[in-house]
Amino acid sequence: MTPRLKPAALALLFPALVLGWWEWESRQSAGHAYAFAPLEQIGRSFVDMLSDGTLLFQAGASLQRALTALLIGGSIGIAIGVATGLSRLLDRTATPLITTLRQVPILGWLPLVALWFGNGDGAKLLLVSLSAFYPTVLNTQKGMQAIETRYAEVGRLYGFTRWQALRLIAWPSALPLIFTGISQALAFSWIATIGVELLFSATAGLGTEMMAAQVAARTDVVLVCVACVGVMGFALNQLFGLLRARLLRWQPPIRN
Amino acid sequence: MPADNPGRSRSSPLSAYRTTLLRIAPIVTILIAWELAALSGLWPRQVLVPLEQVGATLLALASSGELERHVSASLYRLTCGFLTGSTIGVATGVAMALSRNVHRLLWPSFTCVRQVPVIAFIPLLILFFDVEDSFKIVIVAIASFFPSALATHDAVRDIPASHREVARLYRLPLASFLRRVILPATVPQVLTGLRLGLTRGWLSLVAAELLAADSGLGQMMEMGRQLFQIDVVLCGVIVTGLIGFLLDGSVVRLERRLSRWRTA
Amino acid sequence: MSDPRILRDPALRPTSTGTGAVRISGLSKHYAIGGKAMTVLDGIDLAIRPGEFVSIVGPSGCGKSTLLRLIVGLDTDYDGEIRLDDARVAGTGLERGLVFQDHRLFPWMTVAKNVEVALLNQKLPRERRDRLIAEHLALVGLADFGDAYPYQLSGGMAQRAAIARALVNEPKVLALDEPLGALDALTRVKVQAELQRIWMEAGTTMIMVTHDVDEALFLGDRVVVMSSRPGRIARIVDVDLPHPRDRASPLLHRLKDEILAELTREPREDDGTLVSFPPRIRN
Ligand SMILES: Nc1ncnc2c1ncn2[C@@H]1O[C@H](COP(=O)(O)OP(=O)(O)OP(=O)(O)O)[C@@H](O)[C@H]1O
Ligand SMILES: [Mg+2]
Repeated sequence: MTPRLKPAALALLFPALVLGWWEWESRQSAGHAYAFAPLEQIGRSFVDMLSDGTLLFQAGASLQRALTALLIGGSIGIAIGVATGLSRLLDRTATPLITTLRQVPILGWLPLVALWFGNGDGAKLLLVSLSAFYPTVLNTQKGMQAIETRYAEVGRLYGFTRWQALRLIAWPSALPLIFTGISQALAFSWIATIGVELLFSATAGLGTEMMAAQVAARTDVVLVCVACVGVMGFALNQLFGLLRARLLRWQPPIRN
Repeated sequence: MPADNPGRSRSSPLSAYRTTLLRIAPIVTILIAWELAALSGLWPRQVLVPLEQVGATLLALASSGELERHVSASLYRLTCGFLTGSTIGVATGVAMALSRNVHRLLWPSFTCVRQVPVIAFIPLLILFFDVEDSFKIVIVAIASFFPSALATHDAVRDIPASHREVARLYRLPLASFLRRVILPATVPQVLTGLRLGLTRGWLSLVAAELLAADSGLGQMMEMGRQLFQIDVVLCGVIVTGLIGFLLDGSVVRLERRLSRWRTA
Repeated sequence: MSDPRILRDPALRPTSTGTGAVRISGLSKHYAIGGKAMTVLDGIDLAIRPGEFVSIVGPSGCGKSTLLRLIVGLDTDYDGEIRLDDARVAGTGLERGLVFQDHRLFPWMTVAKNVEVALLNQKLPRERRDRLIAEHLALVGLADFGDAYPYQLSGGMAQRAAIARALVNEPKVLALDEPLGALDALTRVKVQAELQRIWMEAGTTMIMVTHDVDEALFLGDRVVVMSSRPGRIARIVDVDLPHPRDRASPLLHRLKDEILAELTREPREDDGTLVSFPPRIRN
């Protein structure tokens, strides 16, 4: 083995072992094949779901839900974060409330929301938005409060109005943290989307598809969905990273 | 600009008192509004339960031992899962950070699987394990495995190379190398990872219990929902939040104590 | 530029229109440190003529930065009086500028936008504003860097951009707090020359704090020597030479020796903060 090949070979060794073990299990008995769907069948399901459009449709539904909720929860979070970051009174009153509510795991609200708002799309959107709200509000607030006196003094020197100071100093200097908040919110809303789809019998979405497959004991379909959820979460994160780098191009590139 | 305010950190007993008042004011306001709305009769009592009824239900659940049953079921799963997941996680993290071959073997798969939200594993795990404890313990274990492995890996990797070289120079055996060098240098970061793992474990556990269980706080809430008992659901929300708060708070306190010991 | 003899006496300079005179009298400043009032500046009296270049040297911690902050109005809590053209200073104003010790460019704006910051609250037509920015970037040798972000500049370039920002709104008085402190010796000499050229062209009153006695003498019409604890004016040295000056001039060397003697005569009762000079003594 050449030294250049070794890392790649090692990287592939682990998945290969897992897959081999899986395939071996699936051939033990019919009962085993029930849980350990043979690899070939998983592949076939993937191709089927892709060609008949199920995967695209369900993934699109989940994506739309996650992004809508990100937009709602994220913008409310940023607005409240700016307000509480600027006003001490608001900070002292609203922040304890938010931190108190945040102690309840998002999906723990689900039974209550279901009772109050039913289990339509609105209720789901509410929960997913809430999951996007927390990280944006907290990070925005932190960013707005961390305005450096150094820069504020430059504003005073040039006679900035309050609005100019907000727009030209406080907001841009908070922006990196706001973006951190949004990227956390993106991850959270993706997780919460899958969660509400699993728990609420949703109309469409990868979570719904997975639940249906689980009830029908279709491990192959479940696995395809799991992989799809993972790949999409990763892709969303990467895309957002690119957007962030573009919008924050005034920051020196992060060394790795 | 807030930064120009010189009196910002001044604190007299009076202002401390006012701060507390301000802090609880909105919560109290909401509770009062809730109570008034419930009493107004605009919504059915079943939908907007008066607070005293929530309190009474909480007391009833507590005194009948039902709450204890659910709480202990949940905490048992959380403890088992968290201990398993974080132990394996820390060990994996250390191994990946110290050995280049282990890193090459596991890291790509680790990063791939890490992208999948833990909740998405629930349907899969239901197919593989029975609906009761083991499935939930595994969920919690997975949820706490990834953050603790990642944090440990990063912490160990960030130890300055000079530390390792010194250890090699003095031919420290692995055990004392781990104890004398790795442990003290990584404690804070690893604790942060464990804290995240605990939070995620708790979140995933509640989700799993909502979905499939015959005991546990999640199941209690789900039953409440199906029987349209909003008071029970609310009790569940309160207790869940409280447990989350206490768990997080205790890790934070541990973090603080250990970091004090480090700087002392 | 025109006849150096005109430049020699600031009062004769064509650009000095009689504005930009700073009169400081009986100025004292206290800070509360750990509940105790500490006197940072004590009984400062200084009259600066319009268009004059005044250098300030003094041991570290003697209150030089504090003095400049008071002059530009970033801090208004003081005893005594600071007057600009007979109006009492009460807060910041566009007629007084400051170049900070650290450049303080906003990292989220390009260099041109950073310079524009100084013009935001002046009612200027767009094209005139753009022209002013371009002119001043060219003035400090950054004509090609208008679209660069501060992280893409070297320390010296960033400091020059900060100088451009301070100059662009043509303040009557410009305070400079060790503006060249972060530069290497070579760049420093170059920027000194640029600063001098700008000063001669614009006729702004400049008050510059520096740790470098050579620099203070090369640029200043007068050099104010301060002593510390509390901060007082120990001596004011007139530099009676036309600009631009010859660095090798024997007069400058004699004055330098005098100033250094003055500075080292300082009683050393406490923590030795005084020893901040030797860094850049060149011959
Ligand atoms: N915001 C502040 N609060 C309290 N004390 C201060 C503050 N700013 C400055 N001081 C004190 O005032 C004194 C003078 O500070 P100043 O920054 O003016 O010194 P300096 O002469 O500019 O020193 P250097 O040459 O090191 O820049 C110092 O002793 C410092 O401790
Ligand atoms: Mg200073």
